[in-house]
Amino acid sequence: MNGPVIHDAWTLPVDDNINPYAFSVDLNGQWFLQKGKMVAYYGQIDFHGVGLGHLDHLIAYSFHSPLHAADWVVAEGQGKMVLADRAFDVNSYDLEDGNLSIRSGNLLAFQPSLSLKQSIVPGFLTLLGTGKFVAASNGPVVFMEPPIRVDPQALVGWADCPTPCHHYDHQYLRGFLGAIRSRTGLGGASGEEHQFEFVGAGTVLLQSTEEVVAEISVGETGGTGS
Amino acid sequence: MPFTLLTSRMVEAQVLPGQTLFSQRGAMLAYRGDVRFTPSITGGQRGVRGMIGRRIADEDTPLMTVEGQGTVMFGHGGHHVHVIDLVGDTLYVESDRLLAFDGSLRQGTMFMGSQGGVMGMVRGQVTGQGLFTTTLEGHGSAAVMAHGGVLELPIDQGRPVHVDPQAYVAHRGDVRNKLSTAIGWREMVGRGSGEAFQLELSGTGMVYVQASEEKL
Repeated sequence: MNGPVIHDAWTLPVDDNINPYAFSVDLNGQWFLQKGKMVAYYGQIDFHGVGLGHLDHLIAYSFHSPLHAADWVVAEGQGKMVLADRAFDVNSYDLEDGNLSIRSGNLLAFQPSLSLKQSIVPGFLTLLGTGKFVAASNGPVVFMEPPIRVDPQALVGWADCPTPCHHYDHQYLRGFLGAIRSRTGLGGASGEEHQFEFVGAGTVLLQSTEEVVAEISVGETGGTGS
Repeated sequence: MPFTLLTSRMVEAQVLPGQTLFSQRGAMLAYRGDVRFTPSITGGQRGVRGMIGRRIADEDTPLMTVEGQGTVMFGHGGHHVHVIDLVGDTLYVESDRLLAFDGSLRQGTMFMGSQGGVMGMVRGQVTGQGLFTTTLEGHGSAAVMAHGGVLELPIDQGRPVHVDPQAYVAHRGDVRNKLSTAIGWREMVGRGSGEAFQLELSGTGMVYVQASEEKL
């Protein structure tokens, strides 16, 4: 294929990726959307802040995280809505009567058939139910099966498995050299003393780098620090 | 070959008992099995002498040794990863680009002046490599980081390759390289093409080039 592909309201994909960094939602009703993640839309779409107006019952049904209420809006109407986030990789995932926890900054949007709650692990949100959601990751996502230990920063989320626990590894501080290292600080740390440990059946979602998708306040631009 | 690419930016390494792997500190993303990560005080191989050499050469990127039995996933900074398998030849690469490498490879430092004399030193300054670079020699694999994907450009006898110094990642084989300058009156009046400095690599071997002019 040569040259750029030109999309219009009809040729935009239906609930699918346009390219690795942009996702097109075929809106017919309502979607929850994190503020600032919509980059373009066709059609008649209204954006309402969470916690206001006539959407009370919808919010009561599917939004249970007052901590994040200020960061979310409801997109309502009909049309095609393009989502993207700072050129991070974007993907959609389907949940079927499932549960999935995800880093709050990584979640872009979800269908109201899912219900959003705060995870016990700080900084993570849990989605329950059946439906589709869209998430960003720094680099493509890799799916892993427990048992596995994961760098907390590389963790995007986990599904259907027990909540992780902390794993601390200070084995390198044992022995003669280790004693010198822990007393004097010479030799430094490996940077790998702390992991999240997953056991049991389920799936762990990892991004390809330990640089987290930072949350940015609405109205700010850039901000990835480079 | 202990490295397998999982995505363009993430590599999986097999760790077997009795074999050591070196990796950049903090670059582990996840692991399975019984694996130990130990900060390497000397920053790599050849003991204290090697450490002093690397400190002087400014090639002392903090490393850790990875030992045990299992699989480890590595990735760093969202950079693309490229796996290079060495079969007895030498890889010349900056130490901060090394994500992980086999302990079976011999790690050393090389003075830039020894590949092209004074111009080699000038080249080191222009490419941002400094006066020294790291060498890996022997049989084994290395995972190298680059900003954007990596191209492999073969260098043949009589067919030199010209590379933008900023896009240069690493090279291997029997390669001489020199900095070619194309500075004319346009550069003097501020109307240059922006490509005044080029790296010319000749001989036989391979040069690795990243799809970006941004250094790590």
